[in-house]
Amino acid sequence: MELLNVQHLRKSFGQLEAVKGVTFSVKKGESFGLLGPNGAGKSTTINMITGLFPPTSGSIFLHDIDVVKQPKQAQKRIGVVPQEIALYQEMSAWENLKFWGRIYGLNGSQLTRKVEEVLEIIGLSDRAKDKVSTFSGGMKRRVNIGAAILHNPELLIMDEPTVGIDPQSRNHILETVKQLNEEGMTVIYTSHYMEEVEYLCERIGIIDHGVVIASGTLKELREKMEDRSRIKLTIDGVKENAADINKVLAGHFSEKEFQFQDNQLIVFHKEPQLVLSELVHSVTETGTRITSVDIVEPNLESVFLHLTGRNLRD
Amino acid sequence: MSFWWLARKDLLLTFRDKKAFITLIAMPLLLIAILGAAFGNLMKDEEVSIKKFTLGVTDLDQGVLSKVLTDEVFKKGMEDQIKLQFFQEKDLLQKIKNHELEVGIIIQPDFSKSLLSGEETRIKLVSTPDPGVKPIIVQSVVEQFAQTIPIQTMLAAKQETGAVQQESIEPKDLIKESTLSKKTKPAGSFQYYAAAMGVMFLLMTVVQGVTMMIREKEEPVYQRLQLTNLTYSHYLLGKMMGLVILCFIQALIIIIGTNLLFDVNWGSSISGVIIMTFAFVVNACGLGMLAGALIKTEKGFNVAGMLGTQIMAALGGSMVPLYIFPDWIVSVTKFFPNGLALQTYLKLMSGAKLTEILPAVAGSIALGLLFLAIGVIFLVFERRGKYA
Repeated sequence: MELLNVQHLRKSFGQLEAVKGVTFSVKKGESFGLLGPNGAGKSTTINMITGLFPPTSGSIFLHDIDVVKQPKQAQKRIGVVPQEIALYQEMSAWENLKFWGRIYGLNGSQLTRKVEEVLEIIGLSDRAKDKVSTFSGGMKRRVNIGAAILHNPELLIMDEPTVGIDPQSRNHILETVKQLNEEGMTVIYTSHYMEEVEYLCERIGIIDHGVVIASGTLKELREKMEDRSRIKLTIDGVKENAADINKVLAGHFSEKEFQFQDNQLIVFHKEPQLVLSELVHSVTETGTRITSVDIVEPNLESVFLHLTGRNLRD
Repeated sequence: MSFWWLARKDLLLTFRDKKAFITLIAMPLLLIAILGAAFGNLMKDEEVSIKKFTLGVTDLDQGVLSKVLTDEVFKKGMEDQIKLQFFQEKDLLQKIKNHELEVGIIIQPDFSKSLLSGEETRIKLVSTPDPGVKPIIVQSVVEQFAQTIPIQTMLAAKQETGAVQQESIEPKDLIKESTLSKKTKPAGSFQYYAAAMGVMFLLMTVVQGVTMMIREKEEPVYQRLQLTNLTYSHYLLGKMMGLVILCFIQALIIIIGTNLLFDVNWGSSISGVIIMTFAFVVNACGLGMLAGALIKTEKGFNVAGMLGTQIMAALGGSMVPLYIFPDWIVSVTKFFPNGLALQTYLKLMSGAKLTEILPAVAGSIALGLLFLAIGVIFLVFERRGKYA
């Protein structure tokens, strides 16, 4: 059953068209990853889905609720974990959660029970009475998540929830999200860390320049790569010798099969071991020096690179 | 009810913020102390002067008006404050010189005749070097008497000639005399400045509250607030409610503090003072909410807020007395929360009852709610064109 349906979403800010017709849907109980580099239109899309501001055109439906026309109705069913810590630093974790719970309309024993439950989920029951300002970055992020799930939202939208935290807290957060999803909560997860998306999400949408350029399961996306691995050659003076390398490789590979990035030559191939020695030989013929060789199995990063021609963190 | 939780949260954070708490509680007390240091001694003198004192009189005129002044005004009209003793001029001066008397007047021979003919006349006021406010009291009474007599004389003359119709003879000017009746006394300087500075201080608290509101708008929590059940009207209402409670507490500290510590009389209508204070706070906070909705950055508000407060305080009578402004400015400043509040407090201090200030109360609350409504409308419209 479809929970969220986004159709032909556009948003312009003056002359700038930040979102140029985004279309995707998310099924109930699904975990959907939204990938895109900075400025791709990811946050604008999310802000429109959460009803923070309306689109210039297009439609967003959460079940049968028109988010554009009834944002407050929709927001009751959506939990948002913003990228930044949206908490009151001078209040304790307990006070923060109580406050946000009340703002969502919870009260009395139901609220107290829910706050206790959420503190348990985020693993901060023992620090409940401490001020948020005394917490580590990871702990703050956990409370940040807690504040978004107090009202049992059907859809949880997480915007890069693990930025700048220690590995322990990151693992805790990933486990928490996984658990929430397994318990039935639908999740939209955006991240720069593709391994997180690979770990958490059943389906992935890749957004770039305000458009969803690909979507599907990880397997489906890999198929777009035709299961090709990446051979990464780090080369001294790659830019100066690019024309020569191009000439040499043109005899062996098609244009789509290789690209230059920073000081690296990247070649896509289904069977890298078979072409590796020939490749190294060809490149060294141009008089350049290879400093390292790396073979990367097809993953989301390869898919992203293949589709957009750039790294996610560019 | 979500607006109440927002207000409660703001109050909690304010009371936890030491700087804000000091501004809320300690500053009004400091203000009272400054007022006390500036006006306290004068206030004590006034208290002493209220005690009955002897006024020495030498009546060289022995005319009708000198008799009215001494017998009717001083002797009968002010018998609770002044005891009258008549002396020869030489004896009076001697008594003053010997400090047996602190203040005396010598009524000149042509006093009645000059007054009746509208000419200038003089009364000599003599006193010891340090008599307190007693000579000031005597001087004001005499000046007021001298100013009233020609008006009454003129009216009487017009009545005789029939040049003026009866209704105009019903002297409009004399209606003003009611303000000098026993129950209604003009506010004194200490009362004026207690009210004026209190009002200005509350404006500053509103500015501080709005600064905190705008600071919050620049933080991620504001975005999260927008993603909850909270509507824009509830958001602004909650913000306003917190600030209203804060300002009201502060106003009570100022009013009760100045009353208990320095005997500042805020008027006989306690309900009037409380209701007007509430109305003023609603008005000022409403204006603050409008500013908070319109202005996006704390930096922007710091300039606008400071400038606006200074202008409002100056024109509203908090820095210089209202009476130096032309009437039209005084009327215009009734549209400023502080201007209307100060003028109403002065009315209350002069003995006005609750019913007399109800229009000001209604106007104040209506303005506050109007500001709030405009602020909500602005936020709703702003959302439609918002950037990511």
